[in-house]
Amino acid sequence: MQWVKICRQSLSSTVNTTLTVALSRHKLIRRSMASDATTRFDFLVIGGGSGGLAGARRAAELGATAAVVESHKLGGTCVSKNVCFWSQVMWNAAVHAEYLHDHSDYGFDGGHVHFSWETIKTKRDAYVSRLNNIYRNNLDKAKIETIQGHARFIDGPDPTVEVNGKKYTAPHILIATGGFPSVLSDSDVPGASLGITSDGFFELESLPKRSVIVGAGYIAVEMAGILSTLGSKTSIICRQTGVLRNFDTLISSNCTKELQNSGIELWKNTQVKLVSKTGNGLLEVTLVTKDPEKKNEEEKIGTIQEVDCLLWAIGREPNTAGLNLSQMGVDIDERGFIVVDEFQNTTRQGIYAVGDVCGKALLTPVAIAAGRKLAHRLFDGKEDAKVDFSNIPTVVFSHPPIGTVGLTEEEAIKNRGKENVKSYKTSFTPMYHAITTRKTQCIMKLVCVGKEEKVVGLHMQGIGCDEMLQGFAVAIKMGATKADFDKTIAIHPTSSEEFVTMR
Amino acid sequence: MAALCRIEWHGIWFVTGTFDYDLVVIGGGSGGLACSKEAAQLGQKVAVLDYVEPSVKGTKWGIGGTCVNVGCIPKKLMHQAALLGTALKDAQKYEQWRPAVQNHVRSLNWGHRVQLQDKEVKYLNVKGSLLDEHTVKGLTRTGKETMLTAKNIVIATGGRPKYPTHIPGAVEHGITSDDIFWLKESPDVALECAGFLTGIGLETTVMVRSIPLRGFDQQMAGLVTDYMEAYGTKFSWRSVPKSVDKLSSGVLQVTWTDEQTGKDQRDTFDSVLWAVGRAPETKTLGLEKVGVKLNKESGKILVAADESTSVPNIYAFGDIGEGRPELTPTAIKAGKLLARRLAGRTNELMNYDNVATTVFTPLEYGCVGLSEEEAESRHGKDSIEVYHAFYKPLEFTVAERDASQCYIKVVCKRGGDQRILGLHFTGPNAGEVTQGFAMGFQCGATLTHLKETVGIHPTCAEELTKVNVSKRSGLDATVTGC
Repeated sequence: MQWVKICRQSLSSTVNTTLTVALSRHKLIRRSMASDATTRFDFLVIGGGSGGLAGARRAAELGATAAVVESHKLGGTCVSKNVCFWSQVMWNAAVHAEYLHDHSDYGFDGGHVHFSWETIKTKRDAYVSRLNNIYRNNLDKAKIETIQGHARFIDGPDPTVEVNGKKYTAPHILIATGGFPSVLSDSDVPGASLGITSDGFFELESLPKRSVIVGAGYIAVEMAGILSTLGSKTSIICRQTGVLRNFDTLISSNCTKELQNSGIELWKNTQVKLVSKTGNGLLEVTLVTKDPEKKNEEEKIGTIQEVDCLLWAIGREPNTAGLNLSQMGVDIDERGFIVVDEFQNTTRQGIYAVGDVCGKALLTPVAIAAGRKLAHRLFDGKEDAKVDFSNIPTVVFSHPPIGTVGLTEEEAIKNRGKENVKSYKTSFTPMYHAITTRKTQCIMKLVCVGKEEKVVGLHMQGIGCDEMLQGFAVAIKMGATKADFDKTIAIHPTSSEEFVTMR
Repeated sequence: MAALCRIEWHGIWFVTGTFDYDLVVIGGGSGGLACSKEAAQLGQKVAVLDYVEPSVKGTKWGIGGTCVNVGCIPKKLMHQAALLGTALKDAQKYEQWRPAVQNHVRSLNWGHRVQLQDKEVKYLNVKGSLLDEHTVKGLTRTGKETMLTAKNIVIATGGRPKYPTHIPGAVEHGITSDDIFWLKESPDVALECAGFLTGIGLETTVMVRSIPLRGFDQQMAGLVTDYMEAYGTKFSWRSVPKSVDKLSSGVLQVTWTDEQTGKDQRDTFDSVLWAVGRAPETKTLGLEKVGVKLNKESGKILVAADESTSVPNIYAFGDIGEGRPELTPTAIKAGKLLARRLAGRTNELMNYDNVATTVFTPLEYGCVGLSEEEAESRHGKDSIEVYHAFYKPLEFTVAERDASQCYIKVVCKRGGDQRILGLHFTGPNAGEVTQGFAMGFQCGATLTHLKETVGIHPTCAEELTKVNVSKRSGLDATVTGC
């Protein structure tokens, strides 16, 4: 397929005619050296994170010419901002700190062990730059061009992207620009900018003495857990009555309880009113607490002083600024996320979006799966390829960790009616704690619907739940019923066996 | 509940009225307790007899059987201590830790006693033996006799570690797993059970006659032992012990034959632990007299699919059943189903297939289904596809630990959706990882199911959903990056 296209492009005070020659996608493309020519690919990806890289690499494997535009480091939130790796490493460090408390119970001669945040940060930085290099090498090996810079759409008969003055186009353009932590402006809350977000958390050079985390989602829970367990006196500021309110109520209430048991101070029904810096450089955080149930009660004002770390964990927003989406006919929803259908199509033909920028299931494996499925759909003739967003298993690295897949009990009841839903629950102290003074609980719940008791939701919190979930997720996706669970022989002694022996 | 019974007494049969019990269970271990409690719950009149013959070294324990006292429970606690110890690399006080474990075990003994009482199961601390198909004799430690009659009798006496009695000095100077959890002083060195001993800082050598973990996938067994060797456990392969002598200094001198060279070797150790197999204690049960048939080689009771023996109202299950897996959960489940069948509540038989297990070595190994060798032998090498991956747990990265033995293998039927025949995983928390996959396996999972399931990031378990490279392709199976 060969065609020639002439278009007019206005550039500052000069008028240029741009000539573009496009060749059949199975031949090597010629890239023009002239700065005003548009370079054409089969597949152009904006955003070199989990979703974008997965899509680009799979497309290249399927024979497409591909390029990735990235304005920072390759790897995105998961890798280059080190979120997945770093938060897991810090969680492991915190788990070690917990084990240290148990050592003397297990017969080990204690002695005071000192934790060095600096040591871990140095190791993590070295590891991450290794990963960055691995990502770059993977792209080079796959002959995917990496374009460093910030992308912006410019209109034309075909969607075109401009980066540092150069133009690129493709019949298929994927937006995978991810997201960033939300912040409150100083006009909303005076002094808000004195706080940091999860991005800043990973830049901390040392463990804060006094931490205040604002938020009640999984990020707030994880950050608070890490800081508190490693020795920072920590408070969580919660707008409502507990954390993880979108999770099953069993998890939400249990997690709230475990947080408090571990020594984290939880402020319920509270918001930050103002933040100020005191003479010694530390922060004073002013809070206002109002219980909505007690309408006649006055709101209470409280302060937390000598705070060296105020962390906002109030949500994440999509990275769409500067892309010029409105010009391109790509719709966004009321929160700014790009609207896509089940096949990741946006409202403009030829432009797609995957990952956090779409606002649904903000997880690395989901972005990767969506990127790959799209590549198969576009370049492998698999017209039906799409991600199944139901039954996506997730883990929250709290202390102890939480695992969940499928519907909460409330969602199941809403869907199918209370008479069709049956839940099985259990709680116990894991054997690990048989000889420790410190104790945590393990709680488990199965949500079943219908006469055949199909398992539509599984929720748990306890030691080992992070590694336990994956296998059960496979079975649930296959449509397992309670009877299937019961038929499976237990592995002993483990905590996971409690799922297959529930009454 | 009450039934007419015939009692034989001095060669004459009497119709005396009722039996003392609907069910008498000989053996108060995992299986016996589960069976008796279930039966009692279903309204049967039940008695359970439990008695521990002291080990050669004199070790004995309370109710609960092997699992609670000298198996799963203390083993897992020691394993956890060892994992902590590997991280800490400090000497620790065995004397501090041992009582804590023993207290936990005693609390479990007590818990079982209370449960039996709650469910109105009669518990007798006597050594049971069969007099005839409806009569059990119980003997206390002091020699006092009790007789019980029962409509049905269940034998769940389990097994004990074997001593290689043909090796001079083996019995006098060696110990077994029965003793290791109850020793007053820490054993400085032991053969086998080596993993947790190395972990808590004791110099350990494992002497193996032929192959490790017989019956398990041998590639996986190799990874487990490689890991142990890398972490300080010594292995002496193809070695057959010949004799154990006590020297004047008190240490033990072990002589063995190196099968590769044919030469004899000698070395000294503080302790020798025999872990050469387990065998049932059937000699004193009076089985032959009553006509219960045994497998001559193993000594185990021959059982049918419904756990019945060659004598109509006598049943046997758990470790003592011939061909049964020696695992607590299968004994528990089989015991409960048997109780339900005997009470006429179900016809369901125990399904012994697709049983998942985990070996709690320092690098844990979890598996369900067939080993690669078994799959090859049953289906033919060309009809199976083996997918595998070497992965690195994140927790090993920061600690800069060698993860060369962290590995996954999924053995599938070739073609179509590739039904999973066997699934194998070595790595931290293998027990917790494997249970869910065992469920999927039970439901007939295929490779497509695995790959369509979204991974949980970052965990070790997710690697099972990402497995991609087949052995047949010869490609490098090391996982690289996200």
